[in-house]
Amino acid sequence: MNCEWREKIALFVDDELQPAAQEQMSAHLNGCAECTAAVAEHMALKKAVRVAANRYSAPPDLHAAIYTQLHPHARVSPWWKWGMSLACLTLVVALGFALWPGPRAKDPMVAELVDQHVIALSSPNPVDVISEDRHTVKPWFQGKLPFTFNLPELAGSNYKLLGGKLVFIGQSPGAELLYTAGGHKISVFIAEEKKGGKPPARSSTFNVKTWTQNGLQFFVVTDASDNEVTQLVSMLQEANRS
Amino acid sequence: MSGLNQKEFEKLALPLLDPLYNFARWMCHDADEARDLVQETFAKALKALSSFQEGTNFRAWMFRILRNTFLTSRTGLERRNTVQESEEGFDDSVVSNETPELALVRRADTELVQQAIAALPAGFQEVVILADLEELKYQEIADALVIPIGTVMSRLARARNLLRQNIANALQGKKFGQKADGKRSVGAKP
Repeated sequence: MNCEWREKIALFVDDELQPAAQEQMSAHLNGCAECTAAVAEHMALKKAVRVAANRYSAPPDLHAAIYTQLHPHARVSPWWKWGMSLACLTLVVALGFALWPGPRAKDPMVAELVDQHVIALSSPNPVDVISEDRHTVKPWFQGKLPFTFNLPELAGSNYKLLGGKLVFIGQSPGAELLYTAGGHKISVFIAEEKKGGKPPARSSTFNVKTWTQNGLQFFVVTDASDNEVTQLVSMLQEANRS
Repeated sequence: MSGLNQKEFEKLALPLLDPLYNFARWMCHDADEARDLVQETFAKALKALSSFQEGTNFRAWMFRILRNTFLTSRTGLERRNTVQESEEGFDDSVVSNETPELALVRRADTELVQQAIAALPAGFQEVVILADLEELKYQEIADALVIPIGTVMSRLARARNLLRQNIANALQGKKFGQKADGKRSVGAKP
């Protein structure tokens, strides 16, 4: 290839040309098949490297260690931790018995949410906004939903945010946030609270938790155990406390 | 104005935890070492908050601390002794007849590309990861790696050519780093 533009292809693909040169290059590509092929190949290689090089995620204990490093005074004695954990567990169990009715044969709302969760599990593109950063995911919903919500800071926990997407829950627009906890995926659905609506029943196959807060209805759907979900529920409740 | 407070630091640094750990794993080849490296990077950055110059790229600053910390570690010191030779000895003639083949790259699956990246000399590997995955500008890569921008550009070009060669060889059933004549190209790992 002898085209004089050839040496600028890497700069063009890496967005390193000055704006005027970038435009000239774009114009040149309209008439030069060789350079266009080279740009396509450069971009394909760049994309392949981007996908392949993104190979490792920080393990949960590193997240926790960094959080502790940043908040050294947040440390509490192990006895206090145990006491609080036990108290929280007792409270959660008591609330669970008090609030949740037994399994019902069929609940359209639960079936719909479980379906949405299963779609997210099986889809190659389970979310529309892909980010672990809550400050990226939350603003993405602005203008798409008639309400707003807060997402918790996950540093120091075992949870990781994968992203979110727009869904329809009971024919109303809502948000689906996808999290991981170990090998499990957790869908969190948020929609406007429907006054007078009955609390949804449990699913016989998936762990479903729900609560209302500040006019919003939250649903958590997962195959993870109660213990793995409890902390996320508390974190979401804390983040949305008015 | 310069310096960051801790809240600003957390907001900027926590989203970089995964990218820094990923970069550390590529450099160290060891999960525990990468973990220690990232922790030390955060500790050093936290101590040096006041020296961060506003207007400079925070990501490049964090990657620079990570890499400097790595280079003073045992693995990093070992690498320093070998990297110079492997990069200077890289044979450009191997790829001088480069013919971009879009189909070739498209045929390569992720695992094959990962092997091709792993087979790059360390100095090429870090440049290509910072450019293509972290999407740092050439100047930011130069700042992070403390090398001239011209070196960034030449290493990037060589890294990409070597990747093409490795991918083509792998698709033809040859080992990484093997030339068409059967000899090994300098710098490629066994």
